[in-house]
Amino acid sequence: MRNMFVIFRKELYRVLTDKRLVLTVFILPGLSIFVIYTIIGTLVQAQFTEPEDYETKIYAENVPDAIVHRLDETMNYRFIEGELTRDDIEEQIMDEKIDLAVIFAEDFEERIIDKSPNPPGVTVFYNQGNQSSASAHTRFSAVMNAYHESIIKERLDDPADYHPYILATENIIDERSMAAQGFAMLLPMLIIIFLFAGAMSIGPDAIAGEKERGTIASLLVTPTKRRDIALGKVTSSALLSLLSALSAFIGIILSLPRLMMADETMPDISIYGAQEFLAIFFLLVVTVIFIVGLISIISAYAKTIKEASMLIMPFYFIAMIIGIMNSFGAEVNQNPLVHLVPIYGPINMLSGILLFDYSLTNFFVTIAANIVYIAVFVFILNKMFDNEKVMFAR
Amino acid sequence: MTDLEVRDLRKTFRLSRKQRRIERTDEKKRIAVKGLSFTARRGEIYGLLGPNGAGKTTTLRCISTLIRPDEGDIFIDGKSVLKESIEVRKNIAFLTTELKLDDFFTPNYLFGYFSRLHGIDEKTMEKRRTEQFERFGIDKFAEVKVADLSSGMKQKTSLAISLVHDPDFIIFDEPTNGLDVLTARTVIDYLLEMREAGKAIIISTHILSVVEKMCDRVGIIIDGELKVSDELAKVKALDENGDLEEVFFHLVEESAGDFAHA
Repeated sequence: MRNMFVIFRKELYRVLTDKRLVLTVFILPGLSIFVIYTIIGTLVQAQFTEPEDYETKIYAENVPDAIVHRLDETMNYRFIEGELTRDDIEEQIMDEKIDLAVIFAEDFEERIIDKSPNPPGVTVFYNQGNQSSASAHTRFSAVMNAYHESIIKERLDDPADYHPYILATENIIDERSMAAQGFAMLLPMLIIIFLFAGAMSIGPDAIAGEKERGTIASLLVTPTKRRDIALGKVTSSALLSLLSALSAFIGIILSLPRLMMADETMPDISIYGAQEFLAIFFLLVVTVIFIVGLISIISAYAKTIKEASMLIMPFYFIAMIIGIMNSFGAEVNQNPLVHLVPIYGPINMLSGILLFDYSLTNFFVTIAANIVYIAVFVFILNKMFDNEKVMFAR
Repeated sequence: MTDLEVRDLRKTFRLSRKQRRIERTDEKKRIAVKGLSFTARRGEIYGLLGPNGAGKTTTLRCISTLIRPDEGDIFIDGKSVLKESIEVRKNIAFLTTELKLDDFFTPNYLFGYFSRLHGIDEKTMEKRRTEQFERFGIDKFAEVKVADLSSGMKQKTSLAISLVHDPDFIIFDEPTNGLDVLTARTVIDYLLEMREAGKAIIISTHILSVVEKMCDRVGIIIDGELKVSDELAKVKALDENGDLEEVFFHLVEESAGDFAHA
């Protein structure tokens, strides 16, 4: 086992002292996720909020005073002077010279007061593809709805006609469960993707890289057991992959406030206790070693890093699909047999832990199954390192 | 007990589809070594001489435990490469000009890494590092990454690192292949020194002058078969003028004739 640690240390040294690798494997994942998610959050937020000092430009004809009064209360706007044809209106909306055009019937207010059997019309023009125009339309519609309700209220004698029933809806979900659902939807998918991506950026170099560089023979001619080589490579790659995933995880956590638009209902990770964190830790450790084991076998089979990366890609896609399916899945599957399935079992268990909906039996089934798979992988790797056809294939 | 004994060694390779296409052959298997037997002793250099593709490298790779013989066995100090490969590896060094060092590391780091893999204590390692690095002039470049070393210095570093554990058996495939004259001279001088120090050295080469300069005994291998294995002087005496080149060509021609008759 002594040589396992020698190889373990060498692999860590190789990655941790290479500035380019440190940047690409440990800093960029977290940094890029933080930057990308922050930008997405900021853009999404900007889409729903109009700058406070923005003055909506409205072209209006025959606007009743009641509407002007309501507009004054709800919007920062100004009317565009002049008389425009329908073509002019369309052109100016497309050119963003006006955000909204509203044409009321000439005798709009009189016909409302007279309760005319022939209701007066209002025509609204806006551009859904333009943010300011769409926002102006939403606000104007709210004004018109309020006006509509006020008219109905006035016309009906009995308030009961207006409110035939009162609907009271109470969402009895507690904040803890709500936050847990948020985490369970987001984290298992992201964690599995980042664990796999981290392992992919390190694993192929440790084995396929040695084969490609021709340095594997120097190692194989030393009195090192093949099992120690396999374990040294797998454990070092697993630790480095975990660090890479941790970087991505920190990026996610730091960008969450912006991604969730600083919502008050933003999930708070402190809802989880020591038991959950411990369970997640063990689950991540066995999952990352499983992934690294798989990648190591593929890398041992491949002749070059490029070939290894190509062969790993389908497994990465499968892991991604499982992660995405889990995010949109309805419930945590409690069948113990499901927890034997590689990748899916740990993701399902992770969702269960995050939702406080898991059994210890299923947890141990997941851990035990993955330990067995890892042992099988190490055994296969051991055989591969001892196989000249695999090691020296050209 | 002989120090190193190769006993009836046989090795066959399966040809991949790609190899068959490149070599334009329908053969699915190729017999690389056909029942090779010879011995090597401490304090001498044994030279395995043969044309390209004769089976020299395959033989040396079997001795160094990198590949397994299909039949036969190799015994080093009585230990079988098949049954006690770990024990055998403790006392052998395998070198080839194709054996690469990881460009990312420095000679210092690699010397420490391979010393630890061989279970050498820190004190002995430091002593050997100083000796070897001074011997090969690596000391000035000890902290330079392998990628930035000249090819000659890389080869010297490779040699120093392969011998971190001071093994009794040194197996060197084509020791001067691709080296400049100065580096080749350094390597040859070092191997001669090692012989004086009582090491058993086996080299493979197709360069006759290297054999004449270095070897005490020589084996000529053609098409996987050992045609002759004896002291250099006795092998040379097979030609009336004592010309090793003539002996070699004669054996090659004889083998080609056998092949044609077959």
